[in-house]
Amino acid sequence: MTMNSSRRAFLKRASALSIAGSAAPFVLDLASIGEAAAATATDYKAIVCVYLSGGNDYANTLVPYDTRQYSAYQAQRPDLSYMKPALDATLLRPATPLPDDAQYALAPNLAKLLPIFAAGKMAVMLNVGSLVHPTSKAQYLSKSVPLPPRLMSHNDQQNFWLSSKPEGAPTGWGGRIGDLFQSGNGTSTLTCINASASTVFLTGNAAVQYTVPPSGPVGLTARQQDMPRKYISALEQLIGSGGSHLLQAEYGAVGKRALDLHGRVSTALANARVTATPFPNSSDNASLGAQLKLVAKLISMASELGAKRQVFFVSIGGFDTHSGLATTHPGLMAALADALRAFYDTTVELGVSDRVTTFTASDFGRSLTANHGGSDHGWGSVQFVLGGAVRGGQYYGINPVLANNGPDDIGQGRLIPTMSVEQYAATMAQWFGVSGSDLVTVLPNIGNYAGSPLGMNLGFV
Amino acid sequence: MAMLNESIAQDYKISDAAEATVEKPIRNSPRTITRRGLLSLGQTVPLTGAGALALQGCRDGGGSLSKSNMLSSQSISEPPSLTPEPMNSVINNKLSLAQASRFLSQAAIGYSKADILSVTDLGYAAWINGQFAKPRTQKFWDYLLAKGVDKEPRAIGYDSLIWSQLMGNDELLRQRVGLALHDMWVVSIYGIPGSWKGFVMADYFDRLWDNAFGNYRDIMEAVTTSVGMGLYLTFLGSEKANARGASPDENFARELMQLFTIGLHMLNQDGTIVLKDGKPVSTYTQSDVIQCARVWTGYTHANSDDTSPHRLKLGMIINPSKHEAGAINFLGISIPAGHDGATARKIALDGLFNHSNVGPFVARHLIQRLVTSNPSPAYISRVASVFNRNPNGVRGDMQSVISAVLLDPEARMDQNVSITETFGKLRDPVVRLVHWAKAFGVKSPTNSWPFGYLATNVKGIGAGPGHAPSVFNWYRPGYTVRGRIADSGLVAPELQITTEPQIISYVNQMQHFIIRGAGEARPDYSALKPLASDSTALLAELNLVLAANQLSATTLGLMQQALDSISPATNAGIMSRIHCAITMVMASPDYLVLR
Repeated sequence: MTMNSSRRAFLKRASALSIAGSAAPFVLDLASIGEAAAATATDYKAIVCVYLSGGNDYANTLVPYDTRQYSAYQAQRPDLSYMKPALDATLLRPATPLPDDAQYALAPNLAKLLPIFAAGKMAVMLNVGSLVHPTSKAQYLSKSVPLPPRLMSHNDQQNFWLSSKPEGAPTGWGGRIGDLFQSGNGTSTLTCINASASTVFLTGNAAVQYTVPPSGPVGLTARQQDMPRKYISALEQLIGSGGSHLLQAEYGAVGKRALDLHGRVSTALANARVTATPFPNSSDNASLGAQLKLVAKLISMASELGAKRQVFFVSIGGFDTHSGLATTHPGLMAALADALRAFYDTTVELGVSDRVTTFTASDFGRSLTANHGGSDHGWGSVQFVLGGAVRGGQYYGINPVLANNGPDDIGQGRLIPTMSVEQYAATMAQWFGVSGSDLVTVLPNIGNYAGSPLGMNLGFV
Repeated sequence: MAMLNESIAQDYKISDAAEATVEKPIRNSPRTITRRGLLSLGQTVPLTGAGALALQGCRDGGGSLSKSNMLSSQSISEPPSLTPEPMNSVINNKLSLAQASRFLSQAAIGYSKADILSVTDLGYAAWINGQFAKPRTQKFWDYLLAKGVDKEPRAIGYDSLIWSQLMGNDELLRQRVGLALHDMWVVSIYGIPGSWKGFVMADYFDRLWDNAFGNYRDIMEAVTTSVGMGLYLTFLGSEKANARGASPDENFARELMQLFTIGLHMLNQDGTIVLKDGKPVSTYTQSDVIQCARVWTGYTHANSDDTSPHRLKLGMIINPSKHEAGAINFLGISIPAGHDGATARKIALDGLFNHSNVGPFVARHLIQRLVTSNPSPAYISRVASVFNRNPNGVRGDMQSVISAVLLDPEARMDQNVSITETFGKLRDPVVRLVHWAKAFGVKSPTNSWPFGYLATNVKGIGAGPGHAPSVFNWYRPGYTVRGRIADSGLVAPELQITTEPQIISYVNQMQHFIIRGAGEARPDYSALKPLASDSTALLAELNLVLAANQLSATTLGLMQQALDSISPATNAGIMSRIHCAITMVMASPDYLVLR
C-alpha cells in the first residue's frame, strides 16, 4: 500500500470513527497514520496457543471409556485411573464414532468444555506429537526414519513442539506465521503477543514476541513520579539504546519496544470492550484465566490497534506429574477448562468466535503405566482445538492402541505419534491464510506428510 | 585443595598490567574505525612479554570466530609501535581499579569500593584464596531458627532468608558460586509440598553453599540425599516396581543426568559435541533412564516426626523394602543384584561423576554464570582439564575449578571491554540487585532484609533464587535470539527472561530501592555525597564501582546532562543526583552487559 492510499484510508477510517463517536485517542496521533491505515480491512483472525507446561498426561485428560479401552487403561494404571461412573457425565458423543466402538470421556473436571464439543466447536486430536517424518514402530526401532532429537527432554521437546527444533531454536512457528502477516498489521510489533513467559513460539525471522503481563504493559514509574524531566528522558534513552555489543543491542531493542508500545497498548486495554463472562482467577497475573482475559481484551481492540492477524501465547504450568497425579491433575484440568470456557464464551460475546482459533500444546504426552504416584515422560499426546471456525464435535487423527509395549507405543504406553505437530500447525496456518507455498517456511518438515494418510491439512478448521 | 598455583596467578597480574597499558591506544587507533571493523582486521603482529603469553593461551584451539566470540587473536594485534599511555592506576604491576572491579563483577555476588581496593592490594588469586578461607557467617537453616520460624512459621518470609544470605555477609565469592550452583541444581519452593517449606529450601541451599568450595562429588551426594531434591524431583517416596504394574519414578534419574552431571550429548573436553556421521552422539537412552530410576527407589524421610522441621536436615534415608535391589545397569555402570540402596547410590554417583562429560559440562555452566555466555572451546577445555585433575591429582575440586574459571586468560583479558561485540554476559537481575546493596553498604539492623518477593515482571526484577518455574530454571544455557546472536552461533541465556515488562519493572524496582531502600534495609550514600555536586566525579565513581569503567563516553555524556539539570544546592538536590545517577547506570546496557 502506498503512503497516499494509506493516508486516504486512514482519513476515511478516522472520519468513520469520529462519526461513530468512538475515536480512540491514538487515532489522533499523527505518527501512527501509516500504521493505522492497514487495519481498514474488516477481516481479522487470531491463533491462540495455550501451552500446558511440563507434559500433560493424556490418559487422564481424554479417558478411555468403552469397556475394552477402559480395562486396558485401568490395568496399566490402577492407582491413577478414574472410576468408570465418574466419567459418565463427560462421555464424548462425536458426530463420527471412532472405529471398533472406541469411546472416550473428558476428565471430569473438563466438563465445562463438553458443551463446546457438543456444539461442534471443539475438536479432539488423538496422538499428536513431535515428529520429523511419519514414523511406525518398526521404523522407530530400526531408526530408519529421522526422529526428533532429544525425545522426552522437557526443554527440547517444548522447543520442538513450538519451533520444530530442540533448545537453541531461534524461531518458532507462531513467529514464522507472524513473519508472513506482520506487514499487513497496523503495528507490526503487535503481531505476536505473549501474555506469559518468554517462548520461542512467537519469535519469527522478522516478527518479535511482545510480552504483556495480564495486568497490562509495565510503564516507567519515574514518569508517574516527580522525577527530574531530563533524568526521565535520559533513562528512556538508555533503556532503548542498546549498543554495538550483540547482547546490548538485543537488550536495547526489547527496551525500546517496551517504551514505544506502552502508551498505545495501555490505552487500548483501558478502552477494551467490557465483557460479561467472568474469567477464573483473573486477578492473579500468573493464572491462565488472567492471561486469556488479556488476550480477549486485545482481540476486542484489534481494529483500534490496526491488527488483522495475531498470534497469542498463554501458558499454565504444573503438568509434570511424576507424582501426586491423582490429586493434582484434576485441579489442572479444572483450571484449564474454566479458563478455556471463559475465553471461548467471551469470543462469542465479542462476536469474533469464528475468527479466533485456540489450541492446546504441551511438551509431550506421558506414560500410560504408573510409577506409583504419577506418570513419566512420554511422546504422543491428546490436544484440543476450540473456536467458531473449528469443525468440532469429533476426533482427528488415529486412535492408538493403549498398552504397555503394544503396536503404538515404545514401552509403558509412551505413544509414537501418528499425527505430527507440523500437521496440526499446518492446518491452523492454512486457516489463518498461509499459502501452500509458504507452508514450508513456517513448518520445515511439512513436506514429509504430503503423501501420508492424514496429509498436510487435517481439516479440523 | 585451597591454594592456587601462585606462579600462574602472578603471570596473570603481570599480563593484566601489560594489557591495560595497550588498551587505550587500541581504542584510539585510527585504524579502529568501528568495533566491527576492528574485529575483521586480519593482521597478526605478535605482542611480547607476559601479555603475549596469556594471549597465546587464547589462541590454542581457538575455533572459528563465530563460535568462539572471544576476541580473535587478530583483534588484539595492533602494531606494537603505538606508544602505550601509562595508566595512572597501574603502578608496580598492581591491578588497576577497573580491572579489580571487572574481576569482582565476575567473582562476587556484589562488592564495594573497599572490595575493589582489596583486590588491587591482594591480586586476584590471593583474593580468591581469602574468600575460600572464609567460614560461613550464618547458614540458611540457622537464620530461620534465629528468626523463630520453627516456632512460628510465619515469623519471617522465605525471601528474607534469601536476601539475608546474599546481602548480609562478606562471603562474596561463596554467594556468587552458590547461586551459580543453584542455577544448575535447581530446586524451587513452588515444587515443595507440605509444611516447613522454608526449612526444606534452607537445608537444600546449605548443602550447596557448604560444598561450594569442596568437591563436586560431595555436592552430588549432598543434593541427592536432600529432602529438597527428593521432594522437588519426586523421588522421596519412589518405590521399586510392583505387581500392579507401577515402575520407579524417572524424574530424578533423568534430570540427574541431563541437567546436573553429563547432559544430553557426548562432549569433547572443550565442550563441543561429539559427532558420529554428522549427528550428535547421545549420552544416554530411555533404557538408561529406566535403569537409573531404579537406583532412586526407597528414599524417604529420616523419621516420621513432622511436628518440627528438624528431620529435614537429616536428609533422606532408604527403606530397604521399597528399594529395587535387583541388578541395575546403565551407561556402563553396573550395580550388582542384592545391593543395598546406599551402595547403589555410591556406585551410580561415582559412575556419573567419573563420566568424561562432567568436566566440560560443569566448566561451561560456571563460565556462563560467572564470566561469559560464549566461552571459547579452549577456555572450556582449560577449566575442564582442571576439573578432571587439579595439580594435586584430584578430580572435581571446586576451588581449583573456580580459580580456573576466574583466572583464565580469556576471563582476565581486559581488552575484551573495548574491542569485542560478543564477549561477556548479561548480568543476572539478582546479582545486579545484590551488587547495588553491597556497593552502597545496605544494612538490615534486625537482619530481616525485607526486599520481599521480586521474581515477577510487574513489581519485581524478573527472577529470584528458589522461585524458578521449573528445574530448567529461569533461563537455559542454550537459549539464543534470532538475528545477529543466533546467526553468529552464539547463545544469550539471560536474555530469555529479558522481556518488555521485565526490563521496565527492573528499572522501576531498582529506582525504588535506590531511593528508599527496603524497609529497615537502607543504603548509605555518605561516600558519594561529597562527589555529587560534581557530576563528572560522581559518575566516575559509579562507573568504577558498578560498571568496571565500562560505560561509554556517550552513555556518560547523556547521564551527565541529566545530572547537571539537577541543582546540587540543597541536600535534596544532592540526594536526587545520587539516586538518579545510580539508577541510570544500572539501567544502562553498558552496565547490564558485563564485558
